[in-house]
Amino acid sequence: MTGLIALPGTRPSEVAFIARANPVAKLAVAMVIPIALILTVDPVTAGTALLLEILALPWCGVGPRRLLRSGWIVLLSAIPAGLLTLLFAADSGRLIAGLGPVTITAGSLTAAAAIALRILAIGLPGVVLITTTDPTDLADALAQVLHLPHRFVLSALAALRLFGVLAQEWTMLTMARRARGFDTGFGRADGFGLGAARRVGGQVFALLVLAIRRATVLAVAMEARGFGVDRRRTWARPSRFRRSDLAIALGGLLIAVLATVAGVVTGSWNLVLT
Amino acid sequence: MIDSTAQAHQQDQKDARLSELWSPPRLFVAAIGILAGVVIYLVGLPSSTSIFGTPLSDLTLPVALFVGGAVVAVAASTAVAGRWRIVDIVVASVLGVAGGLVFSVWNASTQPLRASMVPLVGATIVGVWLFPAVLGGLIVRRPGAAVYTELVAAVLSALVGNEWGFATVWYGLVEGLGAEVVFALLLYRRYGLPTALLAGAGAGVAVGLLDSLIYYPAVLDPAGRLAYVAIATCSGVIIAGLGSWALTKALAKTGTLAPMASGRAAERV
Amino acid sequence: MLNRPALNRTAGSGAAVQARGWGWRYGTRKAWAVRGLDLRIEAGERVMLLGPSGAGKSSLLAGLAGLLDPVESGGDEEGELLLDGVPARQARVQGVRAGQPLTGLLLQDPQAQTVLARCGDDVAFGLENHAVPADQIWPRVEQALREVGFPYGIEHPTAALSGGERQRLALAGVLALRPGLLLLDEPTAMLDPDGADLVRESVAAVLAVTGAGCLLVEHRVAPWLAMIDRVVVLEPGGGVHADGPPEVVFAKQSEALAAAGVWVPGVRIGRTRPASRVQASNGGTSDPRRQDAGTLDAGTQREQLLTAAGLAARRPGQVESVVQDLDFTVQAGRALCVTGPNGVGKSTLALTVGGLVAPAAGTLHAGQSLDAGAGPDPITWRAGELVSRIGTVFQEPQHQFVASTVAAELAVGPARVRGRHRPDPQQVAARTDELLERLRLTHLSRANPFTLSGGEQRRLSVATVLATAPRVLVLDEPTFGQDARTWVELTALLAELLAEGAAIMVATHDQELVDELGHPDLGEVLAL
Repeated sequence: MTGLIALPGTRPSEVAFIARANPVAKLAVAMVIPIALILTVDPVTAGTALLLEILALPWCGVGPRRLLRSGWIVLLSAIPAGLLTLLFAADSGRLIAGLGPVTITAGSLTAAAAIALRILAIGLPGVVLITTTDPTDLADALAQVLHLPHRFVLSALAALRLFGVLAQEWTMLTMARRARGFDTGFGRADGFGLGAARRVGGQVFALLVLAIRRATVLAVAMEARGFGVDRRRTWARPSRFRRSDLAIALGGLLIAVLATVAGVVTGSWNLVLT
Repeated sequence: MIDSTAQAHQQDQKDARLSELWSPPRLFVAAIGILAGVVIYLVGLPSSTSIFGTPLSDLTLPVALFVGGAVVAVAASTAVAGRWRIVDIVVASVLGVAGGLVFSVWNASTQPLRASMVPLVGATIVGVWLFPAVLGGLIVRRPGAAVYTELVAAVLSALVGNEWGFATVWYGLVEGLGAEVVFALLLYRRYGLPTALLAGAGAGVAVGLLDSLIYYPAVLDPAGRLAYVAIATCSGVIIAGLGSWALTKALAKTGTLAPMASGRAAERV
Repeated sequence: MLNRPALNRTAGSGAAVQARGWGWRYGTRKAWAVRGLDLRIEAGERVMLLGPSGAGKSSLLAGLAGLLDPVESGGDEEGELLLDGVPARQARVQGVRAGQPLTGLLLQDPQAQTVLARCGDDVAFGLENHAVPADQIWPRVEQALREVGFPYGIEHPTAALSGGERQRLALAGVLALRPGLLLLDEPTAMLDPDGADLVRESVAAVLAVTGAGCLLVEHRVAPWLAMIDRVVVLEPGGGVHADGPPEVVFAKQSEALAAAGVWVPGVRIGRTRPASRVQASNGGTSDPRRQDAGTLDAGTQREQLLTAAGLAARRPGQVESVVQDLDFTVQAGRALCVTGPNGVGKSTLALTVGGLVAPAAGTLHAGQSLDAGAGPDPITWRAGELVSRIGTVFQEPQHQFVASTVAAELAVGPARVRGRHRPDPQQVAARTDELLERLRLTHLSRANPFTLSGGEQRRLSVATVLATAPRVLVLDEPTFGQDARTWVELTALLAELLAEGAAIMVATHDQELVDELGHPDLGEVLAL
């Protein structure tokens, strides 16, 4: 299970333009584009955004293999979401196929394409962010560029490091429960029922105890090194937001705007709230 | 001797806090809230958009009152709830990380199951994604704890990789706010079972609205959306609200919460 | 108006401690952790602090570091605790603002002190907090890493460090700030012998070079004696019990200290095993190294409960095996001590033998009597079958707790047993009481397992495993982080269990334990 979960670790030595950019710029792109895409369900907006993102990909320094390795979850979830919409969406337009309550119409086809493209278009900038950014650099950028309170940003970074430790503890807890006589996994002694829920709940509880205890000791260790006393602080790794970073952030905004415009112009843009 | 000095100290603290209640930043935020409420009332909500079949313009007055009142209450309550200590921040962060880990394990192991669920059935388990918010609020007991904890869990879930990418972070923010509003309206003083259930409901409503309006708009009709929000709220109440309350109570018994505000409420041992 | 002496002493040249009737009580406790403490320590003095658990040693160190705040944490404080004439809390704030702290604190748990993901960044953390100008940070980081003899560069990931390396990194982080007083709270308690040596060497080097003082809390006293000038013994909830040069204090207080769990130098513990009834006739091997499967002590037919052939073990989730091609047997009434350097795979092997991790290669088979119808491979047994055959005691007792009271913990195991061995409720109750008695946990039977002290938790974790009366016991570092008292109790208990016919496998880096249980009368040693 721990193998499934991999966090970015050491700083990748990046040469590509976007990969080298300040993490705040990449974060801005990854968070602004979803806003535009989330407001509408139509294939033109989502498709345009995705196309523009793919065009920017060569500057991101992420090869197709790395992209696939980090982004397979996004890819994998676009398919069932698309299928679900295809089969169960509200019917409109020409009927293409039908079998009882399940109907595929032109309308549902469009909607399915929209949903799938939307997932991909939202996910791609995030994948680029993750594969090209080191968490420590991201934290430095958030505190120095965006001036988010450093006590929170650095505590979150320190806690992030514990993720791997807690994941290992989870495995140990599972083994310890087997040693105490509790089978693991569904389909064994407890199955799906209340028993399984209680057992998993118990394991989550144990994880929380261990997590909070580690947290209190970590807090003492950080305070012992002078953390949190003063607002004043220097930074060993200065994070600068340059004009090129601004350009990248604006580029993300541009993608969002262009995609929306494309949708509006072709008449397929429709606000989700209605 | 010691006790009276400690008491005097606490009284000083209380006086200082009251006079600082309407410090400039807080006053500013409260004024913005009142202004926003007034503007909403004067301008009115558009009648062309409707939510669940009711045109928004009918809801102008209640929305204006809610927005103004909520912002003022939140601003006021941040004063009395105390300043975040380092241990509070680190514990909230680690709770968020633990929550993110649980999300990852949950997402990975139930992905095929969830992908085959119809939306209304999927709504019954959304509560799983809401528990860090309520748990963080109950354990740390500081203004913003619910939002912060849920945000950290969402960011971690996005970093590990999930179906929704960095949109998860926006979701986490709104879900956290849903729970935070409840803690704020109770002036960060009440942390019993009813508060936990309400906070779970608040987060449930938030995620229900987000999902039904934004994620599944093509698949649900207005009646379906209403049902979705209702089911999501119940899921929030039970899994996030009741579950977090039970976890907090059990944690307190292990002595783990001793350094926290939630541990201090217990008796000396 | 408080006296504000100028912080003009040279960096790291020592800070004087003065405690006047100092007391501290935590917000959630009724009893005072420390009370009425009168102590004076000169700048540059090297003091060792001893006393039973609960004597307030950690509280004193935390207080000196300026971390105990009655307002913030709801605790109570009495008297004064001064560093160079300034109250400790104030000294901390002043130190940060001046960029020069008076104290540096090193804690017990290496994992908990690593803050950032790269070694250099972790050391720089303290410097950043003290607002040291950015251009001075990295040279000081490099210097601190050199001073502790850190083997890796600044880009090395902290996730890849061993315990001893982590502690050295934490020490570098403290040293980069040049504190005048090092506060060391059991820095080697959670390290293997090699790691402990590394840390000790680094501390000795630093003290010699900078002339800083230190206040050290430790259980294993002997290796530190060379650098200590003075020993102070604290009383539980009270003040100073003894104070003086090491030789004097150890001579006069050796009994009290041994009772407090200190490994008093010159006093040998161990050798508490019962005289063995069955002597291996001297054809038995006295070679403490590997004993191949199939070799039995001449004249003693020991039942072979588990046999490993060509066994390779790997950590869960990993592809590479960490140990390979092992042949050994776990025999009734004998102890198999698995030992080796840190990271060699002792724990992984223990978990594999315990039936919790699938072997990477080779076989691990249970003998007839252990198998008893469940099949030859422990990994295929259901948990309910495993629990009555092989009991595993984990390195961290808290991993094993599943119930909310001690008594309930002991009742969980028997309730989960499946198959023929299932005991009835009356047997369970009787066994629970007997175990509580045997492991001195009766007065804690209603307590929550997580509220127990380290030694009590260790005893409870052993008791829960014994509740189902398994024939094989696997223990992963049972004496890890434990003081001398618990060590003695555990070793005696294990010897008793051997005499009763159980088979024991211990994975440990504790050389004294290996000497004790790996003695040819009792067992074998498998060195990885």
